[in-house]
Amino acid sequence: MDFFIQLLTDPIGFYNSHELLVAQMGINAILAISIFVTFYSGQLTLANAGFMAIGAYTTVLLSLYPRWPLPLDMLLGSLLAGGAGVLVGLPVLRLRGVFLAIATIGFVEALLLGVILNVPITGEGQGLKNPTADPLGGIVPILVSIPVLTYLVWRLTRTRLGQAWAAIREDELAASSNGINVPLYKMIAFVIGAILAGYAGALETHINFFVDPTEYGISRTIQILTFAVVGGTSNVLGPIVGAVFLTALPEILRFVRDYRDVINGVILILVIIFRPQGIVGRGGLALIRPRWLHRRGRVRGSPASAL
Amino acid sequence: MGVLLRLSDVIRHFGGVHAVDGVSLEIEEGAIFGLIGPNGAGKTTLVNLVTGYLRTQSGSVRLGTPAGEVELARRPPHAVAGLGVARTFQTLRLYRNLTAVENVLVGMHPRRPDDTLAQLLPLPPLRRGEQERLEEARGLLRRVGLESERDGPRPAWTLSYGDQRRLEVARALALRPRLLILDEPAAGMNPAEKDRVRELIQQLNAEGLTVLLIDHDMRLVMGVCRQIAVLNFGRKIADGSPVKVSSDPAVIEAYLGKEAEKTAAHVPGSEEIDVQAPARAPAAAEPAAPLLEVKELEVAYGAIQAVRSVSFGVAKGEIVALIGANGAGKSTILNTLSGLLRPRAGTARFDRLDLTTASPDRIVRGGLVQVPEGREILARLTVRENLELGAWVRRDGQVVEREIAELMERFPILGQRRNLPAGQLSGGEQQILAIARGLLARPRLLLLDEPSLGLAPQMVDAVFEVIERIHKEGVTVLLVEQNALRALELADRAYVVETGRILLSGTGSALRRNPEVRKAYLGG
Repeated sequence: MDFFIQLLTDPIGFYNSHELLVAQMGINAILAISIFVTFYSGQLTLANAGFMAIGAYTTVLLSLYPRWPLPLDMLLGSLLAGGAGVLVGLPVLRLRGVFLAIATIGFVEALLLGVILNVPITGEGQGLKNPTADPLGGIVPILVSIPVLTYLVWRLTRTRLGQAWAAIREDELAASSNGINVPLYKMIAFVIGAILAGYAGALETHINFFVDPTEYGISRTIQILTFAVVGGTSNVLGPIVGAVFLTALPEILRFVRDYRDVINGVILILVIIFRPQGIVGRGGLALIRPRWLHRRGRVRGSPASAL
Repeated sequence: MGVLLRLSDVIRHFGGVHAVDGVSLEIEEGAIFGLIGPNGAGKTTLVNLVTGYLRTQSGSVRLGTPAGEVELARRPPHAVAGLGVARTFQTLRLYRNLTAVENVLVGMHPRRPDDTLAQLLPLPPLRRGEQERLEEARGLLRRVGLESERDGPRPAWTLSYGDQRRLEVARALALRPRLLILDEPAAGMNPAEKDRVRELIQQLNAEGLTVLLIDHDMRLVMGVCRQIAVLNFGRKIADGSPVKVSSDPAVIEAYLGKEAEKTAAHVPGSEEIDVQAPARAPAAAEPAAPLLEVKELEVAYGAIQAVRSVSFGVAKGEIVALIGANGAGKSTILNTLSGLLRPRAGTARFDRLDLTTASPDRIVRGGLVQVPEGREILARLTVRENLELGAWVRRDGQVVEREIAELMERFPILGQRRNLPAGQLSGGEQQILAIARGLLARPRLLLLDEPSLGLAPQMVDAVFEVIERIHKEGVTVLLVEQNALRALELADRAYVVETGRILLSGTGSALRRNPEVRKAYLGG
């Protein structure tokens, strides 16, 4: 309760005492945007943690050894994650649904076990110290990035590209009959998702003095998935709300902190049962969305062939 | 005029099935070209070969473009679309959760400049383009007979079946195609709606669009096409003008069956049906002690009231038909009886079972079995496995074994294909499988939802014969049909449903002569 009281009555004090939490919320929000992009094009990919690791390690290694300026390192880290997205996407994007999910989890595991825990340059599982980290300064690019990325992705869903994604999500076969190059557009979504995840990884290294390989495993990937499931995927705001909510939850429920994963699981199950469309979505926060943000509700319902 | 599409010796086999076996044809620019043939003749396979969904094994598919002829074979579907070949699908493939307007907007994809990056900052000139596209999309909706104001913002799945079909045509037109391929655009439509489809095709053609039309409805195809090709078992057996084709003995036998003269009268939508019903004791009155009794049933999908205060009954041993146009609410009534939908008000009793509260599996156990619209067979399981699942609720395994064997004998189509995946059967064969599967649940009342939907006339005959036979064996049947005249021929009693209400009822033969029926059914 103190959490909310402070948030409402003393935002500046709240910010000062919860800086790390705010930064973490921001990073998770960017990861949520990353998974939203692939969801929007109808792909259930769980590779985000892997791309995040690529972004994080690349950034730290570039700032440790060639000592290039940090923005350049972060840029290269994100782009390398995108490049990895192309390589991973070429074989796995032929798969659909749960098979795609499994293949992308396979990528995350392979990257972790095969590269990060094995190669000397990544510290062989010991992690990497990052003396250049700047927890206070690092929060600024995060807070700036979120509105920019949210806006861009929101606009993207309404462009020709976004329309093609929606069509692919609804019916791939019909989409190709409308002249949409389905493999290409799926790849674009996958790579944008990879770049965003890599960027989130790069930002994270900037606020931590230590890059911890255990952060980039399957549990991280599942956590990112829960942002989307809890928040809802009809709108880019959904996963972001989910990310902020789920990141703040352990703070709010400080007294049951040891049971964090249990609580997360229970919330996930409750959401799936009672609000399959997520927090943001039909009948939820969608109701209080201002009119100018209004877009079509993704109504689900019974087949209407009988009508 | 030149040749727009030229197929030479196209071959596609699936395992041992010669789906398309050396077909050659030429479609003139500006023509309406008809492609007909019985179910399983390879029509849709041919369309899939032209549009890139399937690869040809040999032969060539060449499209005439302003820059000369282009080979289509081995191009992916989106590239074929990009060359100006638009298509609709036999089974509707709309973007169900997108609105009607959005569906059409997606159709403009290949001819619209890629302004994705520019659109990230919505500047006024771009908005103008957006506005123009929106106007064009609304225009296309009106073009195919939808009301852009009312239907445009609705999610596609909330439109009625006929409107969804029209929307698919609008989406295909959004490409501004040079060749429009319509795969059974009038499937499941009533004659009045079919007339509108025909008018639309003729209008589009008058504006210079080349159309390749695939349909079962001879009246539609013969009416609009100047050139027709007939496929049977993957081969072209005839082509030429409608007159020439329709008098070709090979065509008559392949398409209409051996008893062509009798069958010709049953072509869906043919004007006069004049087969005398066998004399039966008229049972026009509502049965005194019905097996199924429905009173003041009301069903709604959200805000849309689909069924309004419907009451009827079915007595043991009867065949009762519910007839009416698309969207009248017939399937909704059946889905409510089988427990898939819950009514808003009213009662429905089957024997002592309250259908408004019992679970679907309880209802099946009670002996009320539905054969759903579109057959809903399990395509990846074999014919035999499909049948075994039909007996899921039963505990007498030995008897079931015997009954399956009997069914396979009675329906040799199923017996011969017992180990094939059911998805490989043709539409009519699947329908018979679905009915047989229903019978294995030992129904006391069998609900049949549109058993003739999308079938060639020959197959329609076969399916109706099956229905008649199982009825004679003592199964009570409640039949929902588009093909009203055909259903009335079979039914003891019938109810005419229109916009969710029961408009008329009476014996099958009385209703068949009733001009009101014609009016309700033909919509004019």
